Formats: sequence, structure tokens, C-alpha cells
Amino acid sequence: MGRRPWVSPDARLVAIGLALLLAWTAIGLRLFHIQGAAAEEYAARGVDQRLRTEVLAADRGTIFDRDGHELAVTVDAITVYANPRQVVDPVQTARAIGPYVGMDPGLLTGLLRKDAGFVYIARQLERRKAEPLRDLELPGIYFTEEPARTYPSGPLAASVIGFVQTDDNQGLEGVEFAFDEVLTGVPGQLVVERDAAGRVIPLGEYQVIPAEPGGDVILTIDREIQFETEQVLAETVERFGALGGTAVVLDPSTGEVLAMANFPTFDPNSRANYEFGTYRNRAVTDVYEPGSTQKLITVAAAIEESVVRPADIYKVPVELPIHDTTYSDEATEARAMTVSDIVAYSSNVGTILIQADLGNEALYRYIAAFGLGRAPGTGFPGETAGVLHPVDEWCVATCGPSTAIGYGVSVSALQMAAAFGVVANNGVLVQPRLVREVVAADGSRLPSVQIERTAVSARTAAEMRLMLAGVVEKGTGRQAAVAGYRVGGKTGTTRKYDETVGDYGDNVISSFIGIAPIENPRLVVAVVIDSPAGGEFGGQVAAPAFSQIALSALHQLGVPPNGE
Amino acid sequence: MTSQATALQRASLELVIDRSGRQPRLKGWMFFTVVVVAAFMLLIYSRVALDSSAFVLNDLEGQIVTEETRYWELRLQVAEMQSPQRVSRAAEGLGLVYPTERTTLEVAGVEPAGTDIDDRWADLKALLSAQP
Repeated sequence: MGRRPWVSPDARLVAIGLALLLAWTAIGLRLFHIQGAAAEEYAARGVDQRLRTEVLAADRGTIFDRDGHELAVTVDAITVYANPRQVVDPVQTARAIGPYVGMDPGLLTGLLRKDAGFVYIARQLERRKAEPLRDLELPGIYFTEEPARTYPSGPLAASVIGFVQTDDNQGLEGVEFAFDEVLTGVPGQLVVERDAAGRVIPLGEYQVIPAEPGGDVILTIDREIQFETEQVLAETVERFGALGGTAVVLDPSTGEVLAMANFPTFDPNSRANYEFGTYRNRAVTDVYEPGSTQKLITVAAAIEESVVRPADIYKVPVELPIHDTTYSDEATEARAMTVSDIVAYSSNVGTILIQADLGNEALYRYIAAFGLGRAPGTGFPGETAGVLHPVDEWCVATCGPSTAIGYGVSVSALQMAAAFGVVANNGVLVQPRLVREVVAADGSRLPSVQIERTAVSARTAAEMRLMLAGVVEKGTGRQAAVAGYRVGGKTGTTRKYDETVGDYGDNVISSFIGIAPIENPRLVVAVVIDSPAGGEFGGQVAAPAFSQIALSALHQLGVPPNGE
Repeated sequence: MTSQATALQRASLELVIDRSGRQPRLKGWMFFTVVVVAAFMLLIYSRVALDSSAFVLNDLEGQIVTEETRYWELRLQVAEMQSPQRVSRAAEGLGLVYPTERTTLEVAGVEPAGTDIDDRWADLKALLSAQP
């Protein structure tokens, strides 16, 4: 048995002292690291644990009609979501939630049984519906603020107003899209100190960078005129079994669009239930060949150029063969017609004879002066310029005659309404507007600018108005007459070009564009019906719709009848 | 000096305790203590008062949010109730129909109803400016 080597007490003390020294040195170094070298990093970590930065969503601006009626508003709403892993009893929870969110408990149970950490239960629920649900304090069910965009008038002017994306209220269509930057505003920031349970610590860190609310957009649309226009358009499309229709009501002196209706349409509050094609504002984005309504421009150009006068007489044959095309009228024998009669009875051959005297160059110049071939300038997304080929690209024989009667040129309903506005507005083309002004969050107002340019003289415009009155009083547009008011307008019936066949098919575009009252114009109304089954001619299909819309709008604007 | 003399001298000495000299020092300490305690209590009270004010402010802010939400909900309800579709449906439900004949009355000296939109907007803006 060996003996343990003897160690002196001094040596042990030295060893313990050294160990303590090392330990304290290590602690000191660590302390230096925490408090000195890495102090900023640790301080930042501490701040991160306590401080929460929350984004304050800016209130999206409101879209009003011209009289201050809300067409699109943003309201506070609550989104309900769940963490299925934390839900104790999915069946009971689903039964409890179902009545509040309007969902089938069976469907909800399926959601709550998902192997996921997050599922949406209901997006943008009204606060008064969500609050009682929150009070149930169900495990695994959570709530978050999510403002909802709502359209209180439902489908009214839906294709003009458009809609936003549900997630972030970003504009996707219509004015919501075109004026998204104005409406959105600037999000703010809230920095707040919270305790371990997530509660705000009173008198703790609290910094607010307030959100800047979005501006309001005031449309030129008149809600009542819009409603009546939509009603009449829907009735017309359904009565004639048409594919669709478009109507525009314009104030010719200001270019303000009082109503812009499309059918079929959709309800932006439940747009998922509608076909994608219904979202389009066809009055601005779609083109058609204007047909006989184009004769207004041809004849106005000839009068302005002193090529003809309203009383000049043309000998108009039933048919007029030019190169490989034969142009014809509905008449059975050749007629002697004044220029006014040619307009009133919508003679294709008569108009082509006038165009022959006018020439292609002048015709093209006036078509452009009336605003065709160029986007109207409303700023609406997808606004079309239509199709107007440069005159030097026109074919020698038939392009001029065809263009004179509204073929070979494509327009939108808004462009044609603005073109008739030239005649209503003493020869001055006013750029159509859909937005009256933008009101910033600070109350400053930015009115839209009225842009105008002269297309023809006031005298020519006045003579054209009389000819348009003749269309309603004795010509093809008699069904456009408005009780108590003298109105004028032009019918149009165009064969639709069938791209699958590569030729004109059986379907037609029936239109009527009119001015009311004709002596002191307050309105231009354009009605365009796509492929009516029950009646082909614009005078039968679109003219009665014009009559109803114009009467309603004149009453709405307080225009007294002239007793005629 | 003998030890006897020293003893006699000691016997003539008298222990005197000067109470007046020590009493003021105790009072000072007591006063200081009271002041410190009072200041401490005041500090606690003010802290509690501030904290409860913060809670009250928090509650008020919550109420503002609730009332603002209510305000917008009411505006939305008004807009929905004024919607032409709803008015039209309600009118039809009540049996109202469009007149088949219209009569225009001309009253001497009365101008036709105007549509001065700017005037109407002035009223509306005044109304909107009253919103929270």
C-alpha cells in the first residue's frame, strides 16, 4: 500500500487561487464582451424583444359620383383565421364559428382538421359580426384587422369603378386601378413596447408615424342617370336577345360622362361569381365599325369644305358598283335626294356620292378632327384609340366610300359619343372625362382639365343638328323621339366582321347616337347593341333605348320640355 | 498627589449628561426620514397616477377607433339605403309606377331647377369636414 505524496498547504492555496483567478478572468472577459465589445448587438436584441413595429394601413380614398354619393368606400373589417394545430375540438369549434361566418360547419371542420399552422376562416368580416365571435375566446382562433373595400350601390357603374384585390386593396380594374396611387395613400408605422404577454406597456416606448390617407376621386358620373341608363340597356339587350350592349351619356359642353353602362355587368362586392369578360368597360375598351353613324362626319366635312349644302340634290341610284364592291340602299328605285334626306334616310349610296365630291384626304382629316383614331384621353385603363388607317394606306377604289359609310374604321362608343358632341357643342370637340376632380387628404382639390379643339364651324354644327333632327322626325330614327323635347340623332347598323370566317357575318351592331334637346344640347346619348336577335336596325333596337335614357336624363338634369 | 487625594477629587466630580445637545440631531434625522418617505410615496403615487392616465388614454383611443368604425359603418349603411337599386325595389314593392303622362307646370317668375354642382359640393364638403 503506497502512501499519497505529500503536498504542502501553500501549493494547494496557490492552485485554488489560480483557479479562482482564471474563473474571474473568464467572467470578466465575458462581461467585457457583453457590456463592451458586443454591447450594441445585445442592446438591439433587447429592444427587438420589447419593441414591435406595426404597419398602419392608410385609409383608401372614397370614390364619389358627381353629387357626392359614395360609390366605393373602405370600412374596418376583421379577418378570422385559425391555427388548426391549436384547435382542441375541431367539430365543436366549427359548430360555434359557423353561424358567425356564414359557413357550413362540415366545411369548417375540414379546414380546422388540416395539418397546417394557418388557415383563413373568413376574410374581411364586418366588425359587428366578428366581435361576438372574438368574445367566445376559442383556442386556436385568431383575429386581425383588415380593411374591406365595399361598393354600396352594388353593380352600379361597376365597369367604370372597377375593383381592388382582396388581400391588399390594390386597384385591379377601372378607376380603382387608374387612380390607385391617388386612392392608396402612404402607410404609417407604429413602434410600441410590449410585455412578454404581448400587452402594450403604458408609458413605454411609443412612436407613431401616422399613415397619410388616400385622396378621394370624384367621378363625373351621375348616379341616378347611370342607374336609369343601366336599366334601359339591360332591358334592351334582354328584349332583343343581344350578346351585350353599351350606353354612354355625355355632357357635350364639358365632356363629362354622366353615365357609362355596359351589359352584361357584374357586382364588385361578389365579382368571383361573374365571368371575367363582364369586368371590361366595353364603352372605352372595345371597338366596332360605326356604320351609318359615321355619315355625320362625312356630311359635316362636305358642308364645312363647301362641297355641298343641306338643300343640294343628288340623284341617288339603288346600287353603286365600285371596283369589286356594290354599295346599295334599301330603296327599290333611284331617288332625287337632298343632302338632308341622305342623312335622314341614311342613304349609303348618297353618302358615297358626297364623299366622291369631298375626296379621301378631306374625309380623313375630318374623321381625325372629330377625335377618331386617337384615344379619347380619359386615362381609363385599356382605353382604345380605335382603328383609323392613314389616308396614304387607303386602297384606291373602295376605302374612301367604305369609310364614308362607317366601314374600315373602328371606334369605341365613347369616341362616337364625343364625335357627336362636336355637333352638339357648336363644332368644338371636348375631350371626354370620367373624373371630375381629385380631393387630396388635406382637402386640396385638383379638378380635371377641360381640353377642347375646334373641328368644324358653329354654322356647320348647327346645320348638322337640323339634319339629325330630321332623322328622328321623318327618317330612320323615329323611335328615338322623346316626348316633350325635340331631339336629333343618327341610326347605325353594321355587319360584324367574323374573324373565324374572314368576312362579314350575319350578326350586326345596332346603334343610335343622339343629341337632346337639339336646339340647346345638354346631352349626347350613344347606345350600341351587339348582335340583337329580334331586330337588326339601329332605328328599331337602339333608338327606343335612346329615347328612354334621354328622357330620364333630361328630367334628372332639370331641363324643361320645350313643348314640341 | 496621593491616592487618597485623587479619590477625594473623583468623588467631587459629577456626571453631567447634556440632553439638549443630542436631541436636535435625532429630530433632523426623523425629519429627513419623513421627507424621504414622503417623496418616495409621492413618486409612487405620481407613477401610479401616470400609469392609470395612460390606461384611460388607451381606453379613450380604443373608443375613438370604435366610434370611427361605427361612423363609417353608418355612412356605408346610408349609402346602401340610398342606392338607386334599393330605392327602386322598395318603390316597386309599394306599387309605385312611372307616370304614363307628364305635365309640365310653368310658374311665372320661377327659374327651372338648376344643377349647380359646385354649390351642392360646398354643402357636402362642409358635412364631410365634420367627420372625425
